Amino acid sequence: MSERNRRVRVMKFGGTSVATPEARLQAAMRVVSAREKGIEPVVVVSAIGRKGMPYATDTLINLLYDIDEDIDPDQRELDLLIACGEILSAVVFAHTLKSLGHSAMALRGGQAGIRTDGVYGNARIASINPLAMFRALDEGKIPVVCGFQGVFVPYPELPGGELTTLGRGGSDTTASAVGAAMKAEAVEIYTDVDGVKTADPDAVKQAPTLRKVSYDEVAEIAHLGAKVVHPRAAEIAMKYGIPLWVKNTFSDDEGTEIVPREQVPGRRLTGVTHTGKLVYMMFDLGASTGTHRAELEGHLYSTLEKYGVQLYMLNLSPTSTGFAVPRDQFPIVQDVLDGLVLPLGDGAEKTIYVVQIGKASPEVETQVELLKGFGEVRRIPAELTEGCTMVSLVGHEYMQQAGVFLNVLKALKDAQITVLQTSDSDFSLSCLIPEADTSRAVRTLHERFELSQTH
Amino acid sequence: MATPSPAPNSPINGASQIMETAFEKKRGISDVEVRPGFTQVHVTRVPGDLVDGRMAVLDAVEKVHVSIDFLKMSNTGLSFLVSQDSADRIRVAFSGLDCDFDLVQDRAIVLVHAVNMRDEEGMIAGIVRRAIRTGAPVEHVTDMHDRMLLVMAHSDALAFETSLEAEIETELQATGSEFVGGVAHV
Repeated sequence: MSERNRRVRVMKFGGTSVATPEARLQAAMRVVSAREKGIEPVVVVSAIGRKGMPYATDTLINLLYDIDEDIDPDQRELDLLIACGEILSAVVFAHTLKSLGHSAMALRGGQAGIRTDGVYGNARIASINPLAMFRALDEGKIPVVCGFQGVFVPYPELPGGELTTLGRGGSDTTASAVGAAMKAEAVEIYTDVDGVKTADPDAVKQAPTLRKVSYDEVAEIAHLGAKVVHPRAAEIAMKYGIPLWVKNTFSDDEGTEIVPREQVPGRRLTGVTHTGKLVYMMFDLGASTGTHRAELEGHLYSTLEKYGVQLYMLNLSPTSTGFAVPRDQFPIVQDVLDGLVLPLGDGAEKTIYVVQIGKASPEVETQVELLKGFGEVRRIPAELTEGCTMVSLVGHEYMQQAGVFLNVLKALKDAQITVLQTSDSDFSLSCLIPEADTSRAVRTLHERFELSQTH
Repeated sequence: MATPSPAPNSPINGASQIMETAFEKKRGISDVEVRPGFTQVHVTRVPGDLVDGRMAVLDAVEKVHVSIDFLKMSNTGLSFLVSQDSADRIRVAFSGLDCDFDLVQDRAIVLVHAVNMRDEEGMIAGIVRRAIRTGAPVEHVTDMHDRMLLVMAHSDALAFETSLEAEIETELQATGSEFVGGVAHV
């Protein structure tokens, strides 16, 4: 059959959709149902289950840390290991389809023709040769492709190539790219919610499902912490004009279609998002003088860049610099910045700066005492605010109106929620708040901006 | 947990790398642009209590129908950015308010475009580091999924844009690509 006449549909099932035999059966029934309608389904699967479950990615990684937590695994080896989660999932899903009387064929990323660049742990898809998937369809088999992985071929003469993983949102990206390569009529991302919602349903039970969301909106809400389709997947679907849907494996809701901006014109609010746990740090640079201040700031950010620290809520002023980091990255920040010694200047100008995160540890105190013999020592203290989160109001052509920020701050003040800092962009207004108030803040903003009326 | 090691980048030394993908946009900075025509408003003392005082300031701004960006809280008040042609209305808004403020003209926003910022470890810190290295005071920074926005004096913004473009050009030349009109081409 020529590609043009085919009705290929890519159906991607996330971790919760393949977590249990019951869930897999429901997911498989959706595939079978599509096939019975004359569609040629191509399945993409994530690893089985979420954090803490036996075959989930973090569980596999812990196999290595359980041996020795002080040795960081090699990223190449790590890719080989974590790719097993999707391989296992694909084989089990293919077998589930077989149990329903449908021939199926599990394919690793490389077997599905997915070639990537050579960045382990965060590879980008370079090309897809869909021949193996088309061949499976021609043979009456449903291809079940491992999400999140591909191969990098560093030397053409090297057989096999190197297995790589695609980083965050990798399985969504696989689905979109496979859809583009096969000129699919649609890519459907199946999860355990009805689609893209105006807020986390854990915080706002009645949060409506948005029927259409633009690429920009979905990318921004993902950037601000919402767990929806990954922006890379949306970007590929948009580029190749493939309709992209977010649907619920466990309900018949029509889901959310992700569309170009022109299809959702005008001013509107998309929703309220929140990040995970953050730690806010404000470095007092008041002790630094002249050119040292810029040098100090440069060193701080250079170190954060080197160690791959994610920053939120950046705040620069002439005498201080501040940002929030994810709680799970805070130990890294503490390790690399607390006690950092920066000798700046020469001769009489020479000053030794010591960075101190939070209350000075005995090690930092000892360090400061020892350094006093080498010149003037000045501390750069960072005030810590632990247990924060960031709530954001997201929309397009909305934030530019006068009074929106005031309305957000008033709503939170009325709810007696302390705003520690703010941040904004063309698409969003964000407030750093105590983590304990997260759900209440999301509900408050959802209500104040009447997001229940959104659809 | 092990001692942190620097974020990984290119894994196979000497191996030929695919520099551009057919499906995905190239990682890293792809474009830099400068939007001039803004005024920075620093309110260094607000009327009465800090929290209520900030509200009073924002209330006054809303009453003169001025849209604000880059709102930041400070220890004594707040600061934000308005379009240059709104500066007079801000003066009017604050005339009846018991506060201290300062309007700094000729500010610009530098937009540094790069796809999927959160997926590229350390990228946000790297852009801030580059801005600081120019020696220009950076007044505000914020980020979106595909760009960072930095507020600085217009002349500093132009200098930063030039230095960043030169840096990208050098990187692209090293990888056999070229920087044309803000878009990376292989």
